[in-house]
Amino acid sequence: MVQRITNYFTALGKVIKNWFIKLGKNTKSFFVNLPRNTKNFFIGLYQIIKHYLITSQYPVYLSAIVMGLGQVFNKQYIKAALYFLVEVGFILFMVFLGGNYLSGLITLGVNQADPILGIQGDNSIALMLMGLVSVVIIIVFIYLYISNIRDCYRTRNVILNGKKPNTFVQGLKDLLDKNFYKTVLAIPLIGVAVFSVVPIIFMILIAFTNYSSSLEPPTDLIDWAGFESFQTIFGAGNISDTFFKILGWNILWAILTTVINYFIGLGLALLLNSKKLKGKVFFRAFPILAYAIPGFITMLAFKFMFSNGGPINYYLKLFGADTIDFLGIDSTWTARFIGLFVNAWVSTPSIMLLATGILSNLNTDLYEAASIDGASKFRQFYKITLPFVVFSTTPVIISQFISNFNNFGVFYFLRGSIYSSGYFVASDTDLLINWLYRLSIDQQNYNIGGAISILVFIITSIISLLVYVRSPAYRKEDTYR
Amino acid sequence: MKKSIFWLLPILLLSSCGPSGQDGTSVGGDVSELIFSKFDGNLEKERGAVLHILENDLAKESGYLKELLDGFNEKYAEYGITAVDANLDEYTDLVNSGPYGTGPDVLYQANDSLMKYVPGKHILPIPVDRLECYDQVSQIGWDTFTSDANYNSTFTYGVPVNIQTPLLYYRKDLLPSDWQANWDDNKNNIPDMVETRNSMYQYSKQLKESSGGTKFGFMRAMQDSYFVSGYLFTYGAYIFGNNNKDTKDIGMHKGNAKYGAKFIRDFSAVMDNRCTDLTINATGYSLLANGEMFATTNTPDTTRSYITTFRDVLINPTGQYKMTAEEANKYIDENLVITTLPKMPKNGDVTDPNETEFIDTTMMGGIHGYSISAYTKYPNACLAFLDYATSYELLKKRTETLQLSPAREDLAEVTTPINKEIYNMLENGTIYMMPSIEELALFWPSAQTLFADLATDGLRKDNFRYDTLDKIQAALEKLSKDVYDAIWTLQ
Repeated sequence: MVQRITNYFTALGKVIKNWFIKLGKNTKSFFVNLPRNTKNFFIGLYQIIKHYLITSQYPVYLSAIVMGLGQVFNKQYIKAALYFLVEVGFILFMVFLGGNYLSGLITLGVNQADPILGIQGDNSIALMLMGLVSVVIIIVFIYLYISNIRDCYRTRNVILNGKKPNTFVQGLKDLLDKNFYKTVLAIPLIGVAVFSVVPIIFMILIAFTNYSSSLEPPTDLIDWAGFESFQTIFGAGNISDTFFKILGWNILWAILTTVINYFIGLGLALLLNSKKLKGKVFFRAFPILAYAIPGFITMLAFKFMFSNGGPINYYLKLFGADTIDFLGIDSTWTARFIGLFVNAWVSTPSIMLLATGILSNLNTDLYEAASIDGASKFRQFYKITLPFVVFSTTPVIISQFISNFNNFGVFYFLRGSIYSSGYFVASDTDLLINWLYRLSIDQQNYNIGGAISILVFIITSIISLLVYVRSPAYRKEDTYR
Repeated sequence: MKKSIFWLLPILLLSSCGPSGQDGTSVGGDVSELIFSKFDGNLEKERGAVLHILENDLAKESGYLKELLDGFNEKYAEYGITAVDANLDEYTDLVNSGPYGTGPDVLYQANDSLMKYVPGKHILPIPVDRLECYDQVSQIGWDTFTSDANYNSTFTYGVPVNIQTPLLYYRKDLLPSDWQANWDDNKNNIPDMVETRNSMYQYSKQLKESSGGTKFGFMRAMQDSYFVSGYLFTYGAYIFGNNNKDTKDIGMHKGNAKYGAKFIRDFSAVMDNRCTDLTINATGYSLLANGEMFATTNTPDTTRSYITTFRDVLINPTGQYKMTAEEANKYIDENLVITTLPKMPKNGDVTDPNETEFIDTTMMGGIHGYSISAYTKYPNACLAFLDYATSYELLKKRTETLQLSPAREDLAEVTTPINKEIYNMLENGTIYMMPSIEELALFWPSAQTLFADLATDGLRKDNFRYDTLDKIQAALEKLSKDVYDAIWTLQ
C-alpha cells in the first residue's frame, strides 16, 4: 500500500517536473520566436490588408475617411498630397476663421463699435459677406471631397481592370488636351461665382435684414428681419400702391419698347437691304452713328432738347406757339412717349444690324416662288421674312425684353428729379429699377431695394421663360435647319 | 445698387480679416474726460503726422486751400506735422470712408452733412473752448454743431466757419430808368422791388407783359426745396418739431404756411415754365448776365460764378457791351448787387399792390464748418489745424478770397456790409437752419413734388389745383403726412 503510494507520488513528481521542463522550454521557445512570430503576424496581416486594398474598392473608404489616403494606395502620391492639403487647409480654416464667420452669418455681430472711444465692433456687412464666403468654401470643399472619392473609385476600377492609371503629369497634360474644356471653363466659372453669384446672394440676403437708412454699418449692427421687407412692399398702403402702379407701367413699357425697337430695327434693315436703294453704305452710317454715341450722352441731349429752356420750346416760342412742359410733373404720357422715342433712338440700330445679318442668309428663291404664286409683298414679308427673322432672333427679343424691363437710364436721365403725387418716392414714369435706385441709393433702404430686386428677378424670369418655351425657336427647333 | 454697397465688397473682405471685436458695450468713468483725454495738447507724440484735409472745391480752385496748408505746415514744421489735401470729393461720406481708413482727418462740410455723422460716432467731440475763435462765433453757430445724441452728454462736434443762406442777386443797370421817381415810395434810395416782394412781383409782371414773355423780373427754380421752403417758414412752417429733432412732428402745414405756398404759385405766374424744372439752376448765371432776368436768389458761394459769367458777357467782342476787362470789372462792381432778400407781405398776398405791412423773409440756410474724424490717429494735430484754420487772419483771407460770409462776429463787422447783415440774420433767427438729421433726405422728394406742382399751377391756364387757400392748406397737410409716412413706413 505504502509502495503504491510512493510510486504514485514519484510518478506525479515526474509528471510535474516534466510539465515544468516543458513549460520552460515552451516559454523559452515563445520568447525566442516572439520577434519572428510577431513579424510574421504583421506580415500576414499586411498581406491580407494589402490583398483587399489592392484587389478591392476598400481604398475608396479610406479616401472617405481621410482625403487622399485612397490615392496613396493607388500610388498617386502628388494627387494624394493635394487632396490631403485641401482637407488640412479646410479644417484649419474652419477652426480658426470659418467657425467665427458662420456664427457671424447667424448673429450678424454682437459687439457695437464706438469710433469715438476707439472701440472696434463687429462689422455686420463684413460678417455677412465672410459668412457667405465661408458657405461657398464649404460647398467647394464638399465638391472636392466628393471628387476625391469619385477619383479614387474610378482609379481603382482602372487598376482592377489591370490597366495603368494616369500619372499626375498625364492628368495635367489632359487638362490641356481632352479635358481642355474644363480648363477653359474653370476661369469664367470662378469669375462668375466671385463677381456675380456671391454679390447676388449677398443682395438677396440683404433683403432679409433690417438694413435701412437708420443703420450705418460698420458702426451700427444690422439684424435678420425675415420677410419684413416684403411685408412692407405689399403691406404698407402707399408703398404697395406705388409698387403695383410701377409694375403695371413697367410691363407695358417692356412690351412696347421691345415691339417698337424690334419692328423699327427690322424695318430699317429691310429698307437698307432694298435693291432699289442707292448709297446703302451712306444711309447705314446714320443709325450706326446714333448707336456709337454713348447712350447716356444721347439721353442727356434729349433731356436738354425737351426741357423748358431747351431748343424745342425755344422754337415753339419763336413761332408764337405756347411752350410745352414735356417732362414736367403733369406730363405723364408725354414723358412716357418721349421715353419710348429716346429708347428707340438708342436701341434700334443694334436690332437693325442684327436683322441685316440675318436677312443676308435668307434664301431669295423663296421670294421668287412666292411671286410666281402671286403673293403680295406684304404677304411675302408676313409669311417668309418675319417668321425667319423672328425664329432666329427669339433669344435676342427675350434679352431685349429683359434689358428694357430693367432700363434704368432713360427715365433716370429724363425725369430723375421728378417725384409724382400718389407715388412713394417715385415718379409716374419710373420703372421698378428706377424706384429701386431711389429707395436703395437715394434713401439708403437697402433691404427694400434688395426685396424689389428679387421681385424683379422673379417677374423677368417667369416672363422670359414663358415666352421662350412658347416661341418657335424652342418648339420648332428644326424648322430652318 | 451701382452707387451701392457692392463697391465696398473688396474692402470689406480685406478689413474683416483683421482682429475683430472688443466689447464695446460699456463705457466706464467720466465719458467727457475720457474723450477729451485724446486732446492732451501733446504734439510731440504726434510728430510726423500727416493730416488729410477735406475742403470744398471752391477753396481748391481759388488757391485758398494751398495757402491754408502752406501756412499750417510752416507753423508746425518744428513738430514735423503736415497737412495735405485729402484729394476726395467735397461731399465724401465719412461713413463710407472713415471706418476703412480712407477718409480725411479733418472735414469741411455743411452742418447737416457733418451732424449726420454724430449718431454713428464718426466725428469727435471737440473741446471748442480751447480754440481762439470760441468767443467770436455766435452761440447759434455753436448750437448748430451741438448734440446730445451720444453718451447722454452734450458735445460740440464742429467749428462754424461760413454762414450759407440765400441772398438776392440783381442788376442795377436793369432797373427802370424812372425807378427813383416811381419805384422808391419811401424815398430811401433803395428800389422798392428789392425791398418788398410785392414790388418785385409788380415789376416782374410788368417786365414779362411788356416784353412778350422774353424778359423777367425775379426768376428761379420754384421746385428747388432748399430755396423755396423758406417762403413757408416765413409764415410759421417748420420741417421737424423740437428744434428739428422730432421726426414725428412734421410742420410744413403749420402756422400760415399756406401763404408761403400761395406765394410760390403766384410768383411762378410772372416767370415762365423754366421755373418748374431745375435746368434754370445751371442757366441762371447767364440769364442774369445777358439781362433776360433782373434778379434771382442764390447762396454766397455762387457769387464768383455770377461775376465770371457777367464778365464774360461784358467783354465778349461780338456781344452787346464789348468792354475791356477793366471796364467790365468796374461795371460789375457798380451794377451787380448782392443783398438780403426782400420782405414778404404780412397778409400773405404778394399780388396785392397796396399791402403796406411786411415781414422779414426766413430762408433755409446752414453753416459750413470743420469737424475731426473719429478715425484720425492725430487728434491733437487736428485740433491745432482747426485752431489755425479758424483764426482771425485765416478766416479773413478765406472770406475775402472765397467771398463767403464768416461765422465770426469780429470778421462780419469788418468785411463787407452784407456779411454783417447775414450774421445778424443768423442772430435774429431769420435763417432756418437745415435739419442735421438723416431723415431730412425723405423731406426733399415730397416737398419738391408739391412745390413743382404749385409752380406749374401758377402757369396753368385752367384746371387749377391750388386756386384757393383751402386747397393749398390741404396740399400742405398731405405734404406733412407724406414726409411722416416716408420716414416711418420704412423704419
